[in-house]
Amino acid sequence: MEHTSTLEKILRGTAITLVILFFMFPIFWIFLMSFQTNETILRVPPSIVFEPTLSNYTALITGKLDTAAGTLEISFMKNLWNSLFLSTASVAVGLVLGVPAAYAFARLKFRGSEDIAFTLLSFRFAPPLLVLLPLTIYFQQIGLADTYIGLIWVYQLIVLPLILWIVRGYFEDIPADVEYAYRIAGHSWGATFRKIALPLAGPGIAAAGLLAFIFAWNNFIFALVLASADKQPVTVGALAFVTASGIQYGQVAAGIVLSILPTFALALYAQRYLVEGLSLGAVKG
Amino acid sequence: MSLQLIDIVKSFKDDVVLDGVSLEVASGETLVLFGPSGAGKTVLLRLIAGVIEPDEGSILINGENMDGVEPEDRGIGMAFQNFALFPHMDARANIASPLTARRESQTGMKRRVEEVAKLLKIDHVLHHKPKELSNGQKQRTALGRALAGEPKILLLDDPLRNVDAKLRFEMRLELPRLLKDQQATVIYVTQDYKEAMALGHRIAVMSGQGIAQIGTPEDIYLAPQNTAIARLFGDPVINLLDVVPERGAEGVQVRLSGTPVPLHQGHAASIGHDCVLGVRPEAIRFVDADAPGSFPVTIEAETPLNEKTVTLAITEKKREILISRPSGTPGPDRGQAHVAIDAGAALLFDRATGNRIAPASAAAKGEPA
Amino acid sequence: MSDATMNQKPRRGFRVSRGALPYLLSLPALLTCIGILIPFFTAVAYSLQRYRLSQPWARKWNWGENYLNFLSDPAFWNTLKVSLTYAFLTVGLELLLGLGIALLLQKRTRFNNFVSIMLLMPLMTAPALASLMWKLMTNPGFGILSYFASLIGLEDFRWASDPSTAMLTVVLVDIWVYTPFIMILLLAGLRSLPQQPFEAAALDGVPRLFVFWRITLPMLTPFLLTATLFRVIESIQQFDIIYAMTQGGPGDKLTVFQVEAYLNFFQSTNVGRSAALLMILWAITYILSNIFIKNWLRLRERQRGEA
Repeated sequence: MEHTSTLEKILRGTAITLVILFFMFPIFWIFLMSFQTNETILRVPPSIVFEPTLSNYTALITGKLDTAAGTLEISFMKNLWNSLFLSTASVAVGLVLGVPAAYAFARLKFRGSEDIAFTLLSFRFAPPLLVLLPLTIYFQQIGLADTYIGLIWVYQLIVLPLILWIVRGYFEDIPADVEYAYRIAGHSWGATFRKIALPLAGPGIAAAGLLAFIFAWNNFIFALVLASADKQPVTVGALAFVTASGIQYGQVAAGIVLSILPTFALALYAQRYLVEGLSLGAVKG
Repeated sequence: MSLQLIDIVKSFKDDVVLDGVSLEVASGETLVLFGPSGAGKTVLLRLIAGVIEPDEGSILINGENMDGVEPEDRGIGMAFQNFALFPHMDARANIASPLTARRESQTGMKRRVEEVAKLLKIDHVLHHKPKELSNGQKQRTALGRALAGEPKILLLDDPLRNVDAKLRFEMRLELPRLLKDQQATVIYVTQDYKEAMALGHRIAVMSGQGIAQIGTPEDIYLAPQNTAIARLFGDPVINLLDVVPERGAEGVQVRLSGTPVPLHQGHAASIGHDCVLGVRPEAIRFVDADAPGSFPVTIEAETPLNEKTVTLAITEKKREILISRPSGTPGPDRGQAHVAIDAGAALLFDRATGNRIAPASAAAKGEPA
Repeated sequence: MSDATMNQKPRRGFRVSRGALPYLLSLPALLTCIGILIPFFTAVAYSLQRYRLSQPWARKWNWGENYLNFLSDPAFWNTLKVSLTYAFLTVGLELLLGLGIALLLQKRTRFNNFVSIMLLMPLMTAPALASLMWKLMTNPGFGILSYFASLIGLEDFRWASDPSTAMLTVVLVDIWVYTPFIMILLLAGLRSLPQQPFEAAALDGVPRLFVFWRITLPMLTPFLLTATLFRVIESIQQFDIIYAMTQGGPGDKLTVFQVEAYLNFFQSTNVGRSAALLMILWAITYILSNIFIKNWLRLRERQRGEA
């Protein structure tokens, strides 16, 4: 690399600048917008000089929008809460169901285990509507329509394959002898799972959980089809929000910022595991 | 506790690793499983430990069939070749793991762990995690973990394989006493014949898909089943010379470089057959040219190996032979020398099968099965 | 040896607890998913029926009629065309861009690592919300991108609401969200390549373009293949971005499979047609995902083998 010419350095620098600009600008711009009133947003030409205001955020948090037409009730905080609850509960259920299964697939190879594991993986790739549309009708019949339980169940479609395949990889990385040694020392299978397998796969399980949370949080189509307004997460809620009459654009922007911040924070925290999670455990970062 | 394996068959996919292995180990005995890697030694240990299941056959501990008995209920201690320490626990917790399983009292546990650690000279590193331990300390921790529960059956899977030469030498001296104190039945896996000879009451030589020969170290060394086993034991390696026994003036003999060398008289049946003569390097002596049975050789090279010196010589028929003598004893000059073979120590093998041919009269007195 | 020992299958029926254990452990996960398999078979049945929610009395089996109708149905061919166009455009452009960025950031410097983490932010944005962000930026009234367009002479550039630029707009959003995915996979791939061939080539003074075509690309192929297939499977099913941006409009410009099926189900309440559409989409993704899984497994094996 010694013979990188000045020209090449300039080209590289320009390319990286353009890349950063393209990918960062929308976030930056929406962030700015969230601190502006309609007045400054609608200026032509647009400018990044403005008097920042927190009014958009306070309106969202209090749920009261004062518009020219009067006071508008908005349920954005409810959406945020739904997102948090649905994602957390889905991941918790996914971990309880997925971690033991991942261990079974990794350690106790049994008849048909590979086929079953792949069937579970293939759910990840099937068109979600294929399942969702009949499910709307079934859910009506068995009373799960528009319930958190029904949604959490369906969310397993995204959460389970992810947890299963990532955690399975971590279990496979534990040398079998270490577990054998614990059993020979006189501990039951269950104790070995709790005292050896779980702690050693711990970081992987945590990473899988965080990633599953991000994916559940970002999901749109499940809740769009299955949830009514009071169960909707932010992804669906924000869409309804933008078409609401008399809305301030700054408030939409603030809503977006509040909705993407949690996933950004988690992604930053779990970035070491992102590559592995995104490739469903195939590629280590 | 005695241990009995009956007709064990084990294969992985289509690969038969063990095909009908039977073995009996008496209470308090140390049996060494010896053989090249891939011979199924480790698989055999895992079968005994119960972490894998045999396809066929049974394993009996103290006469009790172990079918369906979980590893934790077999009362076994095992040290793994790769140590298999619990990486998230310190050495103390590692060693204590067989004791926690029994819900031993805190004080009893502490006492036992410290006793074992002292014995193995790792009492100063008990608070270290495995990754902070040297290889030797890891090995001792693994051994300590196997010993701590005072198991009646101890399985040691090549525990000295991954430690340095100095420690291996020390442990080779220490282990026999340690194992004796345990009063346990021990199965010890190794690829090092010196370790096998030093530690085993008996040695089971594994090759192919089963046990090729089982016997005391002396049996195996002095009466190997075939040329392959003869070559595995002994350093430098045994000399194997193609010969055809004939009838000479003093009975059965072979000719080396034209010189008649007398054989055991029980070999009369082999006269005229293609055979291989096995002579340990230490059974060849440098002698004067006029000594009986001497034949001339050309000295090629000499290598001192600590307590002994090994000479590579070439016979008149261009056959290479190795000669071993205690270091410090007078050796030959460069160039020509004469050697003689200690006829009583020579072994005769069938050239086609490689199997040893026992002399007729000796066959009666306890040929190892 | 430990690998081999793991692959054993208990041949005999003894040891009930040990034999049943794996099933017990995976059963809850399986049951959860079986609940999801049932709707799949229901969808197959629906696709073979004349079934409109608005006319439940007229529901009956019509077997392959829904599928046969597709042959002469321009709307179906439009859906297929739009879906394929979308998939090829997005994945093709993302691949080029992603590879380019990965190459730019290949060296493990602090700055490069920082940039690659920053670039993950679009990928961590919910696609539906990403669409919303771009909607705000392309608003004809105050959108900053509309303003930029006017600066370069494109007065009244209407982005997603103009039939001629709607595809371009959603493809742009898709690129914004998913290029980082390809970039980060390829970056991991590039950084995991053995260094010797490159050092040898540098010592011999091999031209860098030659190194790229003959060493880098071939060695990167499994990663490229995995990333591409992964993205194609997702892209041909894209719903969130398009629905959030235009709900399939303007007109039928963006009625990709899942959007068309959604509209068929909820707006025209034609369950049979909707299910048949999804079955065809499923068939396409099934074939692709089988190829993908094979590749993915090979890559997984290789990566785990090295670890």
